Amino acid sequence: MSLKEKDEHDHLGWMEEKQLSPIEKGYLFTLIWLDKRFRVVDYLELLETMYYRVNLQMPKSHTEQYNLDNKFWYWYPLYALGSFSTLAYVVAALSGALLGFYYTPSAAAAETGTVAYSQIAMIMQDLQFGFMLRSIHRWSAQVMTAAVFLHMLRVYFTGAYKEPRELNWLLGIVLISLTMGFGYTGYLLPWDQLAYWAGQIGVEMALSIPVIGEWVAQLVFGGFSLGAPTLQRMYILHVFLLPFVVTSLIAIHIAIVWMQGIAEPH
Amino acid sequence: MADDDRRTDGREGRDVEVPLRLYKTVTVFSTLIAVFAVVFGFLLLDAAALGTGLLRQLARSILGALSLSPSDSLLSALFAVAGLLSIALGAAVYVLGTRFKAAEMSAGDD
Repeated sequence: MSLKEKDEHDHLGWMEEKQLSPIEKGYLFTLIWLDKRFRVVDYLELLETMYYRVNLQMPKSHTEQYNLDNKFWYWYPLYALGSFSTLAYVVAALSGALLGFYYTPSAAAAETGTVAYSQIAMIMQDLQFGFMLRSIHRWSAQVMTAAVFLHMLRVYFTGAYKEPRELNWLLGIVLISLTMGFGYTGYLLPWDQLAYWAGQIGVEMALSIPVIGEWVAQLVFGGFSLGAPTLQRMYILHVFLLPFVVTSLIAIHIAIVWMQGIAEPH
Repeated sequence: MADDDRRTDGREGRDVEVPLRLYKTVTVFSTLIAVFAVVFGFLLLDAAALGTGLLRQLARSILGALSLSPSDSLLSALFAVAGLLSIALGAAVYVLGTRFKAAEMSAGDD
């Protein structure tokens, strides 16, 4: 492996003996000229060699050892759903951090509606790339929820939750609940009609819990009817409490997979 | 030479057989150039559609240094034309690149 020039093929001589139109000749000449100078292809070939050499060092997986690949390969995409959820989470975190620069969790009256709602309108209509930023945040959130759910189905139907991985399954149940908590608190933040009545449903669901219902409604929604405290709490849950908790739990979840290895098919 | 003829299977388009290493050069660099040209073209279209933005301010200040101050609509039109040209250039570079095939690829000709 080195970037030393190999015994190179004579491209220009080759071009002479071929019947090429002037455009093709100019095209190839330009690209060869660029390649001689930037040598991107050489670097890519180097990466290719390294990829195969590293792969040779890896221990054989269960599927390789017992030659299950021919029967099992079409399930492999489903084994990417965990990574896919993590990726969606990272994208949501980054776009959310940027959105945080422009959003204000205030239910105070603005010219039209509340401050929170007019900030969302500002992001969508006036801020450069604001529409894109909020769309990325929303879509990655939706994708994460869907991917986490499908990941759970994959783990269930391949029996990957079985001993010795019960703990990680339970941790996963906690994580899918917290993901939905993320979704719900974020859903309320625009403080439009959709958010407001979803919040109303939330309060009533909390109140329906026996014995501790009123206490839960107070704690989570800041009262029995929606108002400034509700929005404030949803915001803090969404951008402070949940990010710390969920990030830590995802780290533990992945660390356990790392230590135990992926549950391979039998 | 077979590779200089029209294809026999009736499909339009010309195939040129090239050595594998040259095929890699063509693929890598034509894709790179096409991606940059198309993305840049969309940035220019964006600068044409939005009254603000970095590219437009940059163009304004450069033109201002030459003591030129074109109207907003003229600037938009120029940005739009340049953007479409850039996208067309990217497409052309990519399409031109697809006629070059390595030896094993044109033999089968799916």
